[in-house]
Amino acid sequence: MNIPDVFSDIDPISQSDGPEPACAITYTPEFVEAHDYLRAVLKADERSERAFALTTICLKFNPANYTCWHFRRRCLVSLCTPTDSDARATVDVERIDTDLEFADKLGGTNPKNYQLWYHRRALLEIRFKGDERIQVAQKELGYVDKILGDDNKNYHAWSHRQWIIRTINQPQLWSAEIEYSHSKILLDPRNNSAWNQRWFATHEGEIAANSGMKLGKLSFEKAEEEANYAVCGAQVDPFNESPWRYLIGVLMEQCRWVQREEGADDKDKVNGLLRDCVAKIKDMNDSPTEDYPAGPCVSLMSALVDLLETVGDKTSLEEAKNMMGELVVEDPVRRKYWHKRQSTVLVLLGKVSE
Amino acid sequence: MTSETAAPVGPFYDALHANYIVTLGDKLDSPTSYEGAVTEHLRVSGVYWSLAALALLRTEGEVDDLMGLTKPIQAATDGTDENKIRSAIVDWVFQCYDARVGGFGGNCSGENPHDAHLLYTLSALQVLAISNSLDDERLDKDAIANYVSSLQNEDGSFSGDEWGEIDTRFTYIAFSCLALLGKLPLPDWNNSNSTQVVSEEKPIIDTYKAVKYIMSCRNFDGGFGCVPGAESHAGQVFTCVGALSIAQSLHLLEDADLLSWWLAERQCDSGGLNGRPEKQADVCYSWWILSALSILGRVDWINTGKLGQFILNCQDDEDGGIADRPMDMPDVYHTFFGLCGLSLIGQLEKIGNKEGQNYRQIDPVFALPTDVVSRLGLKAQVIRNGGVDVEKRLQLHSILDI
Repeated sequence: MNIPDVFSDIDPISQSDGPEPACAITYTPEFVEAHDYLRAVLKADERSERAFALTTICLKFNPANYTCWHFRRRCLVSLCTPTDSDARATVDVERIDTDLEFADKLGGTNPKNYQLWYHRRALLEIRFKGDERIQVAQKELGYVDKILGDDNKNYHAWSHRQWIIRTINQPQLWSAEIEYSHSKILLDPRNNSAWNQRWFATHEGEIAANSGMKLGKLSFEKAEEEANYAVCGAQVDPFNESPWRYLIGVLMEQCRWVQREEGADDKDKVNGLLRDCVAKIKDMNDSPTEDYPAGPCVSLMSALVDLLETVGDKTSLEEAKNMMGELVVEDPVRRKYWHKRQSTVLVLLGKVSE
Repeated sequence: MTSETAAPVGPFYDALHANYIVTLGDKLDSPTSYEGAVTEHLRVSGVYWSLAALALLRTEGEVDDLMGLTKPIQAATDGTDENKIRSAIVDWVFQCYDARVGGFGGNCSGENPHDAHLLYTLSALQVLAISNSLDDERLDKDAIANYVSSLQNEDGSFSGDEWGEIDTRFTYIAFSCLALLGKLPLPDWNNSNSTQVVSEEKPIIDTYKAVKYIMSCRNFDGGFGCVPGAESHAGQVFTCVGALSIAQSLHLLEDADLLSWWLAERQCDSGGLNGRPEKQADVCYSWWILSALSILGRVDWINTGKLGQFILNCQDDEDGGIADRPMDMPDVYHTFFGLCGLSLIGQLEKIGNKEGQNYRQIDPVFALPTDVVSRLGLKAQVIRNGGVDVEKRLQLHSILDI
């Protein structure tokens, strides 16, 4: 598009660079021309087809220009909704879907630019008002999957998935997300983002299933499943930090619950689960699998001492104390830390012995 | 001397780093430079990183002389433009101020500021703090406080700009901005669960709700993410712990041990720190993680000697500056955070600068030299862990025993 021709009725607004700026900026003539006209249509708030086309040009120069993205959406909404009355019914969904593709192409396979995600979200908010919301959401989840296929820890992409699932809030999407996180964990068990997503899907999914009743924790049965899941993950690769963090998270949540008055009835079950996990981890520690080098595994040991301390009887505390002694040697980077932990556990031991 | 406290091996290139930072300003001015092009939209932040980095190496007066903070200076020339005078940085910062909204843009085009953003508003205020210009009559403190206030959402969170990106970073930034302006209302945890009402007027922001929002971003591993549900990330941990510190609300951090362990686990075999599990170590996490551990009173949970060595290994021994990891190209962002890391582990203190004087120290809450924080009378909160004495640099804050 020849910008001066298309906008012959508009006076471009140039940047007024003063003399001797502290920080001068130099752009190409094409960049300057496009942005001079953009400033003019922005000022006039001209929400037209040609203005929309101009934002395409400017965004190709600089996809991080949030003013331009915002104006593009203003144009798009005006162009998609011919009259102000009953705007939702007349939304041109195809045009919105086309713009989702535009944002996709501009971002490439690894969009880290927040504006691209925000643009998608703003457009999807319009699309989610329609009857096909679940299909639209599933299509969008497919798009995010493509991005995660390229960069499986893309922070914006995972957040975008969470936003979609929360916004739609349908049981089928919640349970599908647990499966999805599982598939990503299988592909790369060390993908901590996928473990985080599993926590999100199990926890917020449970809240959604109980019509928003927020205990802030999983039911005991679910917690048992998740603890077993984490133990299995740790068995696959005991040197992987993620399943250990996940396991501690699940168990501590239950332990905190039973310390409260309304959770007291679950106390025996939770203690049983805790001891069961401790036994399994000890087994792993005593008989390492062939896949991994024999010898101490710091991730395993550090999780085990945390749980032994939580069990809190004399024998467990003794075991924790001894293992911390090993960690002082085996985890030299955090040697001071383990010394401190030893002194804490000695205090606890003193208390149970009294 | 045990292995944890052993001094890292190898030189620290004081003069090269200072030179790198000072000449960077000239490169940024050069229309053809790579550095100028990539940092153009966040120039105010780049200027803050440069000044704050140099402030750790040089005295206040030297920084002003070298950088032209409060007065115009002769810029070094690249042969094309002789006798070029660069206007004072403080004056340029005010040109980035958008009076229509009350915030600062990342740069300006002549007289026209770019769109305002919270990120650049904090950087601008930090530059003014370093240059002792927060009482400059051009600074409209009420307008800026109102701008910050306008970005708070119903759920207590903050957006970074009028277009609405929400992130726990922006809560930290909002708190820090208001603290620098002397306008942050503190939540009254002893009394009612509400933001303290200092006068009859409504508080400028709802700090109580903002703090609650921060806590809603806490994760099962003890860390914090950008928004509720989002994965823990060391950068977000700093912003959340820093925000709680500024708002005197660290007592909400039940199980600070869990969080600190997560932070300690970020140390890799190389001695460097990463931002998330299985990610590469990067010098910038020396800041994000050490600042949080400093506030939590647990810096000794990591091996500071090995970390210091990692940072020293990332120095450019020819042109100065510090890179993200060994052998990479340095940049001002990593130079600043690398120096911060060396400061927070007491390494700079041990070296002593060229005249045998002590280096200025970085404050882990406000990311400003401690003498600036002290001069401004800023008071955040730090944790005294297990009765161990709080580091001297932190004693200007209030101390929470848990």
